[in-house]
Amino acid sequence: MEQPSVAPILSLNNVEVIYDYVSLAIKGVSIEVPTGGMVALLGANGAGKSTTLKAISGLLTAERGEVRRGEVTFLGQSISGMMPQDRVKLGIAHVLEGRRVFEHLTPEENLVAASAVRSRHVMKRNMDRVYGYFKRLHERRGVASGYLSGGEQQMLAIGRALMTEPKLLMLDEPSLGLAPFLVAEIFQIISTISKDEGLSVLLVEQNAVAALDIVSHGYLIENGRIVMHDSTEALKRNPDIQEFYLGGAKGKDFRDIKHYSRRKRWLT
Amino acid sequence: MDAVLLLESAVNGALVGLMYSLVAIGIVLIYKSSSVPNLAQGSMTMLGAYIVLAISTGVGAPIWLAIPLAIGVMFFVGIGIERLALRRLAGRPVIMILMMTLGIEIFLRAGTMTIWGGTSRPISLGISDAPLFLGPLLINRAYAFGAVVALAMFGLFVLFFRTRTGVVLRAISDDYTAAWSVGISVERGVALSWAMAAVVATIGGVLWGSVQGVDQSLALLLLKAVTVAVLGGLDSIGGALLAGLLLGIVEGVAGSFLDPLLGGASRDLVDAAMLILTILIRPHGLFGRHDIERI
Ligand SMILES: Nc1ncnc2c1ncn2[C@@H]1O[C@H](COP(=O)(O)OP(=O)(O)OP(=O)(O)O)[C@@H](O)[C@H]1O
Ligand SMILES: [Mg+2]
Repeated sequence: MEQPSVAPILSLNNVEVIYDYVSLAIKGVSIEVPTGGMVALLGANGAGKSTTLKAISGLLTAERGEVRRGEVTFLGQSISGMMPQDRVKLGIAHVLEGRRVFEHLTPEENLVAASAVRSRHVMKRNMDRVYGYFKRLHERRGVASGYLSGGEQQMLAIGRALMTEPKLLMLDEPSLGLAPFLVAEIFQIISTISKDEGLSVLLVEQNAVAALDIVSHGYLIENGRIVMHDSTEALKRNPDIQEFYLGGAKGKDFRDIKHYSRRKRWLT
Repeated sequence: MDAVLLLESAVNGALVGLMYSLVAIGIVLIYKSSSVPNLAQGSMTMLGAYIVLAISTGVGAPIWLAIPLAIGVMFFVGIGIERLALRRLAGRPVIMILMMTLGIEIFLRAGTMTIWGGTSRPISLGISDAPLFLGPLLINRAYAFGAVVALAMFGLFVLFFRTRTGVVLRAISDDYTAAWSVGISVERGVALSWAMAAVVATIGGVLWGSVQGVDQSLALLLLKAVTVAVLGGLDSIGGALLAGLLLGIVEGVAGSFLDPLLGGASRDLVDAAMLILTILIRPHGLFGRHDIERI
């Protein structure tokens, strides 16, 4: 297994997360994202992908989850116990599963709201940058975001995260429910931003076919444990991965076998 | 009953209704940002009035100085209530949060009773008792003044919700997990909405106190405010304004018909009927925000 040569921007060391004080969601998870690199975290429903991202962004607390063991290090500094907004300030952006745009706000207002941790001066510049990447958002900047198409909402969710000027962008199943050509378009834009601006990316996906096209490394998580870590080429050659995640020769999307009930999880 | 009298009750009712809206706006502000139905808004209104009185009579400050000072004090009272009582309840069942606001309401009433007693005290804004003449109609000056202030506050809030901070608050009310994910401090936003609710409560308290005197019965404005807030849709400031107008007009007109028959309680009966019917027939209220459905 080849090790990334650049120092990691993010590393998880033996992280264990429990919900409601009892239920263990991930255990002994160790992951590294090299600075400026793109890494995928693949796995089935309930494997612990979103939990891993929440442990990094600090959003666990909102769901009565807790990092009970292990350490999350970002830019060489331990961030365990830090408030979510302080992590955003440091440069960690988490694009939530299911897009979660502010539906009653316009795209433009979504971007404004997302610049809360940055100064007013850079807001306009960042907004132009986001509109530059996602032209469609600019065309639709004045309508309530709830009325945008799924693809446009995903673009908005990513654009909103970019407003925080992240160094690490974490995406939770961005391909969910989107047509393949849109997935390709969005992934291409992410790739471009990563190359042009040195943005590091941690991409959570069930759509392994699309994800392995743009990342250099991948982790495989099953039942809350990392069971495999390798370069993209090696992962694509791996017979297990081929069978279960690349759908064998048929190239079937892993997602076809799952059923979703996704609803907003309110704190109430 | 002649048309002039009817119109007069409608116009005065509308003005009173706008003053109800002022109390209701506080409930809406808090509900919008944190989905907490604040049953203490009536007693916060009462407290605001008492603090104005304490500053003006206690320290001897003129009323135009006492009001802004009291607003400043109440701003921090609002922040304090959120910080000490509500924040630690985040994530608990709504019923516990509701009971907490009820606890605060009782506490504030009992507290003011302990400190200032229960006798009614006047607040004078220097508005004359003589009615305004609008053609043949007699308009109550105090109500007219209160209505103008309510409209001005409404305008301020419309502008505020377009500012950067206002947009952040609306984002919190839309989806607070998503708000956290982009670095918004949800706790600070919710605290700010309590502070703003306490500020409007002070203004409402002064206006209502100048009309009916300051005592614990000011806290009963909660009933009007809840009706207006529910009728307006709970999360819509504009809805609260229109619902206040509507309730005020219906109450005024119905009252002028029914009062001779039923005695003084008819306005409260109308109020209760509006609340109950709204909940039964239109739980979203007239202007409530429902989740956007894409077609
Ligand atoms: N808020 C929560 N409270 C309790 N248990 C939870 C909570 N969120 C997730 N879990 C549990 O933790 C485990 C991992 O869930 P997680 O959401 O991280 O999976 P995932 O890999 O993101 O799945 P999916 O592909 O369905 O999004 C699951 O067993 C799940 O039931
Ligand atoms: Mg998930």
